[in-house]
Amino acid sequence: MLKRAERRKSAPRRIVELCVNGVWRYVTVEPRNALVDVIREVIGLTGTKDGCEQGTCGACTVLIDGRPMLSCLTLAVDCDGKDIRTVEGLAEGGKISAIQQAFLDQGAIQCGFCTPGMLMSITSLLEENPKPTVPEIKKALEGNLCRCTGYNAIVEAVLQASDQGVLPVTR
Amino acid sequence: MSQLSYVGKSCARKDGPDKVTGRAVYTQDVKLPGMLTGRILRSPHPHARIVRIDTSKAMALPGVKAVMTVEDTKGIKHGFVETPRYPPDQEVLAREKVRHVGEEIAAVAAIDPFTAQKAIDLIEVEYELLPAVFDPFEAMKPDAPEVHPTHPKVKGETPFSNIGGRTATGWGNVEEGFREADYVREDRFESHLRTHGYLEPQATLAHWEDDKLNVWTSSMGTFVKRSKLAKVLDLPFSAVRVHKTYVGGTFGGKIDLYSHEYCAARLSMITGCPVRIVATREEIFSAYRHGQPLVMEIKTGVRRDGTIVAQQVRAINNAGAYRGSGVVVIFLAWGFTMLPYRIPNLAYEGLSVHTNNPVRAPQRGHGCPQIRFAIESQLDRIAQDLGIDPVTIRLRNARRPWEELPNGDNVHEAGLIDCIKVAAEKSDFLAKYGQGRKNEGTIRRGIGMGVSSYFGGSLIYPNGSGVIVKMADDGSATVLTGAIDVGQGAETVISQIVAEELYLPIEDVKIISSDTDTTPQDIGAWISGMTYVTGNAARQAAGNARDKMLRLVAERFECSVEDLEIGGKCVQRRGQPEQRMTYREIIAFSVATRRGDTIIGEGYWRTMRDEPAHPSLATTKGRWSENYAFSCQVAEVEVDCETGEARVTRALTVHDCGFPVNPALVSGQVDGQVSMALGHAFLEEVMTKGGYTLNPTWLDYRMPTIHEMTESDDAEVITEQYTVGKPYRVKEVGEGLVSGILAAIANAIYDATGVRMYSTPFSPEKILKGLQQLRRESRQKTDEPVEQIAELSK
Repeated sequence: MLKRAERRKSAPRRIVELCVNGVWRYVTVEPRNALVDVIREVIGLTGTKDGCEQGTCGACTVLIDGRPMLSCLTLAVDCDGKDIRTVEGLAEGGKISAIQQAFLDQGAIQCGFCTPGMLMSITSLLEENPKPTVPEIKKALEGNLCRCTGYNAIVEAVLQASDQGVLPVTR
Repeated sequence: MSQLSYVGKSCARKDGPDKVTGRAVYTQDVKLPGMLTGRILRSPHPHARIVRIDTSKAMALPGVKAVMTVEDTKGIKHGFVETPRYPPDQEVLAREKVRHVGEEIAAVAAIDPFTAQKAIDLIEVEYELLPAVFDPFEAMKPDAPEVHPTHPKVKGETPFSNIGGRTATGWGNVEEGFREADYVREDRFESHLRTHGYLEPQATLAHWEDDKLNVWTSSMGTFVKRSKLAKVLDLPFSAVRVHKTYVGGTFGGKIDLYSHEYCAARLSMITGCPVRIVATREEIFSAYRHGQPLVMEIKTGVRRDGTIVAQQVRAINNAGAYRGSGVVVIFLAWGFTMLPYRIPNLAYEGLSVHTNNPVRAPQRGHGCPQIRFAIESQLDRIAQDLGIDPVTIRLRNARRPWEELPNGDNVHEAGLIDCIKVAAEKSDFLAKYGQGRKNEGTIRRGIGMGVSSYFGGSLIYPNGSGVIVKMADDGSATVLTGAIDVGQGAETVISQIVAEELYLPIEDVKIISSDTDTTPQDIGAWISGMTYVTGNAARQAAGNARDKMLRLVAERFECSVEDLEIGGKCVQRRGQPEQRMTYREIIAFSVATRRGDTIIGEGYWRTMRDEPAHPSLATTKGRWSENYAFSCQVAEVEVDCETGEARVTRALTVHDCGFPVNPALVSGQVDGQVSMALGHAFLEEVMTKGGYTLNPTWLDYRMPTIHEMTESDDAEVITEQYTVGKPYRVKEVGEGLVSGILAAIANAIYDATGVRMYSTPFSPEKILKGLQQLRRESRQKTDEPVEQIAELSK
């Protein structure tokens, strides 16, 4: 067993307050803990995905104070007092959001592993820019890798969600 | 009823709601009380003898629960293929020697990831370095270091001790064929090392509970994983349960048994605690399995009109340190050579050569993109040399419907000729072809075509799929299937078929999948046969339940089954609406009158049911598949002649998949494959030096981002149909389409610039070098007299 003194030495912990999907959570973290690990392992919201731990794939994208951030490169201690939104916070009152619906309608999902990160990047985009052009959509999603879909259906989903005349493909 | 309600429709994904809300559970999301973290110690050397391993310091670290080496295993070997000729060749942890950088040596289980990593760093290993070899041609030299001195040698190749596998086959007489030919061309093509790029890392959670091993692992088939795990753990199959999880992409990279899967299981058995191992992305890039780089030497003889009379193909695979799927890709490269075109005389040889590189796995297309790139590129050159256009030469050689293949298979309603015609027409191919090279500008456009064919399902363990459909009291149905949804939409397609056969709203079909204890055995998502094999099993199971209900109603109303109509979750006597029973009533009636029969439908399917086993990897003898898909793909490119950069402006895929059970899912597969081919063509390369991976991150291994994707259109050539109650034939759509498009891109670059690509990737350097060469050649032609004058005046 670790001796108490040894444990303290190896892991000086801090308490941080995070407002996750509108609920204030008090969590004890080590300074080295990435936000993605705290969200997934401590708070237990596993919708946010961990694809690379290197900040290269975008699967772990969450909104911190409304801005899309890579939670694998963000230290949880730096998020004290911040507002954090994850994929679990997108549906309101049991109803999924327009972009979630559009992903279903356009076949913008295959394996689904990039989907939560994609949805967060798009949510941030649409909050700032309700009618983005295709280049603007691509710019907003350039940090989110998808290996399955080839992206075209995802662009269509954003256009559908922003009411730009794209109709559902699936039924 | 001939009108179909679900099959052939773009139904929304069954797993969609779970995946957009974050509810979908992947392996890395499963957490159990008391769970430990496992980590693996890997070799830093490409080839070394292990002199000593000391785990005592790691074991003494507080928080470490177990440390294991090969001494803690039963020493049972495994392999991607396990046949008498190619017996299992790899232990789960290295014994005495390591043969590639990243080879697994030891594993630890600890209370958290930091402690586990610390323990790994405390394991002391003393190595004696051995000479290593990385290039297959170097490895074939008589004095090359031997990767496996104790391996049985491939017959007739004794001096080449690193040849780990050979496929040799052919028919007709190529020598005679070449003599008959009006024109013979020889070319050499090379493909490079790429990786799968699945977003979800490799991950396994294992929990040993006295006599039962529960496993959650990111895979392409839970039944295959169960068989391999049980074998190396020396447990009965029934003692291992692989649970369902969603899988975050595979593309061929998650089918083999991996050391981390064994180690998680064994560490759990040692500690009594659940153990989870998640590979880091760096580990996946540096130590896990990638695809297969092939060198292809191709000699083709044709008549003046472009008809192929003979072809000789030699494919050499840099197979890495263990057998992996290296001996399979050289078999498959033969298949993808002989499928689309008639070749009356063929001589094929494939060699799988061991080197001190990481082991190779199947990768989407498994040999098809490599060999089609080579053959289609050469075919375009031949066409040009003969003054024939690319469409005509392909039509002249394309297989026609109902042709028999040399191995005894039949192509059935092969739609290749229509694919080529439709692709040429839709892309306005002949009007655009040849225009690019006339242009002298900086930006040049070109168009190219590529053809491929792919098998749908073959015989390899577990060979068959079973499906159960249970009717519930309320008239809804629950499907139990071993099929695994890796993103391709297996759950959706199976639900559509069950809904169709049972005349049920698709919302009333619930699906339980890919759990080895509760669902029937399934072939898995790795031989492109799920919609055909498991789909037909699902059709049969649902039909079985439907027929039971119809027989009950016929008995109740004392009429024949033919007099009944079905629809709206009811069965009624035709023209007599008062003689009508709802599904709910039928099930209650069954329970009451049939000794409690709750109506369960069973179905099973096996491809090539009269065939004993898969074909021989060494001789290709035996049947391979009963479903062959065909396609023709067109790429349009734009090349910047100043920078050498090429990009695809439009991709068109015309394919014969039989018929699409779900057109939106089929289009999704096409788009994904076009995107992957773009990565193959322009961006992706695992760069290695001395066995080390130099770019183990997505920053340096450039996978297509949203900016790189191109416009992708697809059209189907329908050759089969679906009728309720009848077996159907669908063809492959999930992996072969990475192939023709790669060849099309190479051919389009040539069309734009006159520069022929002999190796992938089609980098700006290669294109610029080619352009410089062309300029030099044309200058030589025009400048020759001037130079002579200059010479004279000296």
